[in-house]
Amino acid sequence: MRLVRSELLKVRTVSTWWVFGIIALVLWALATGVNWISTAVLVNPPEGTPNDDAQFNAVREAANVAANLYTSGQFFGLMIVMLIGVIVVTNEFAHQTATTTFLTTPRRTAVILAKLAAAGIVGLLFWLGTTLLNFLVAPLILGLYDVPSQLGTSALWQAILLNGLAYLIWAVIGVGFGVLIPSQLAGTITTSALYIGGFFAGAIVLNLLADKFGDWWNNLQLIVPPLASGLLVTGTDLPGSPPRWSGAAVLIAYALVAGVIGTLITRKRDIS
Amino acid sequence: MSDGEIVVSGLTKRYKTLLAVDGLSFSVRPGRVTGFLGPNGAGKTTTLRMLLNLVTPTSGSATIGGSRYADLRDPLRTVGAVLEASSAHKGRTGINHLRVICAAAGLPKKRADEVLELVGLTPAAKRKFKGYSLGMRQRLGIAAAMLGDPRVLILDEPANGLDPEGIRWMRGLLQGLAREGRTVLVSSHLLSEMELLADDVVIIANGKLLRQGPMGEVVTSMTTTAHVRVRTPQADGLTAALSGLPGATITPRGDNTLLVTGVEAPAIGKAALAAGVELHELTPERPDLEGVFLELTAGKAGIR
Repeated sequence: MRLVRSELLKVRTVSTWWVFGIIALVLWALATGVNWISTAVLVNPPEGTPNDDAQFNAVREAANVAANLYTSGQFFGLMIVMLIGVIVVTNEFAHQTATTTFLTTPRRTAVILAKLAAAGIVGLLFWLGTTLLNFLVAPLILGLYDVPSQLGTSALWQAILLNGLAYLIWAVIGVGFGVLIPSQLAGTITTSALYIGGFFAGAIVLNLLADKFGDWWNNLQLIVPPLASGLLVTGTDLPGSPPRWSGAAVLIAYALVAGVIGTLITRKRDIS
Repeated sequence: MSDGEIVVSGLTKRYKTLLAVDGLSFSVRPGRVTGFLGPNGAGKTTTLRMLLNLVTPTSGSATIGGSRYADLRDPLRTVGAVLEASSAHKGRTGINHLRVICAAAGLPKKRADEVLELVGLTPAAKRKFKGYSLGMRQRLGIAAAMLGDPRVLILDEPANGLDPEGIRWMRGLLQGLAREGRTVLVSSHLLSEMELLADDVVIIANGKLLRQGPMGEVVTSMTTTAHVRVRTPQADGLTAALSGLPGATITPRGDNTLLVTGVEAPAIGKAALAAGVELHELTPERPDLEGVFLELTAGKAGIR
């Protein structure tokens, strides 16, 4: 426990957390703006939109429109949290504090576990922050289009809580990657590229495959982590998409693999 | 504080193509300052890092008070180490750097203030690490090592970057700590400083032990023959007088100076008096640590 407190103190005593906080705030505002526009489109679809697309109609359900707004900022929020996880580890090598850290605690597994816990806590704080902002803004946007606030719908609360799970998991994945790529620059760039690139490349490739070979290919959204986290916050299960719990399971598996490999590497690595 | 002995036994570290430390064995006693000497690249830092569980040895063992570092229950309360001057986050203040360590080691927060006071950094407590001079960084490292009031101190090149005043301060601090019965192991390549500071020396080169023991013994063990420097205006007369003494070798050094080996100073003085030769200087020359060191490590320094 004292190791977790020490790790949180490390985060708190440098400027990283508030710099990332400000970046997250700006990106959240951007995402919320986009979601505002998509809400407008979903509630009042333009003339000529076919009304027999099951997935489109499911997305249009009030609960799911609301879920989208109450979990606004997820895409970039998760990336920020992942990067914090990466930095929590790579800072130790960039500033040569790994020596001090492992002198203080020669049990390296305990150090990595403390980092996972601390990054997870920071991840949840970011979730809490964006969720509070969403609670301020989402009812206003819904109100503009005469959609009730949906706060009584269980699907909405599931989306919000699963969103929290996603923040937690991405922080853990970040720590795992940080251990795998100890260079701070390489670590942050690689993980960001994988995150953003994986999202778009995954979405485009799977769409193409689904068009050509059938809808089954859409299930592979699961194995692309940034798409899997999107599944967690859709509100109700969407037709044509894998169930939400499977997205959570896949993300947890990724986090476990990253965390375990990272720990094993750290236990063996020479610190010099 | 009797169990702070450091024992290194058959310690070996092989990197892909390089044998950095090669079957090294030595011990370091409590209550004394031990200098750990060797040319650059001799394996000093690798040895210290293996002792502290930061680098895994290829074979052999290193223990502190009988335990491996990794097995110490409360490492910071047993061993304090200063490894490199720059090991703190640039954007964190000195006091916060120490508090992070306190939190991890379960030490009270006020120890951070106490050790800052000890090393004279209290005025810079709230300054960020990037604003510290090299000397201040060394002091912060020493402060961190002292947090747990350890009975063993291990310092890698602590004099680097300190000004003469800082070096004198550190010498006093380390000698005081050794007098309290603690084990103090200091690596350095600054020989003159080590001669003032250390009671014992361990000299290594190419990852192998060359010599270990009390400073005086190691220095004298290298003195196979006595050297005496003699200055006289009558060099020829003295040479003639000394040539009668058995075992004497006389080497002219110019400027009325002769270097005499094989004869002790009193015998030279007596011979000069008997021959009526005027002497201006009669100095027995002891090799200093630097001479011993250079002789032992000759040709072994440099890039491997």
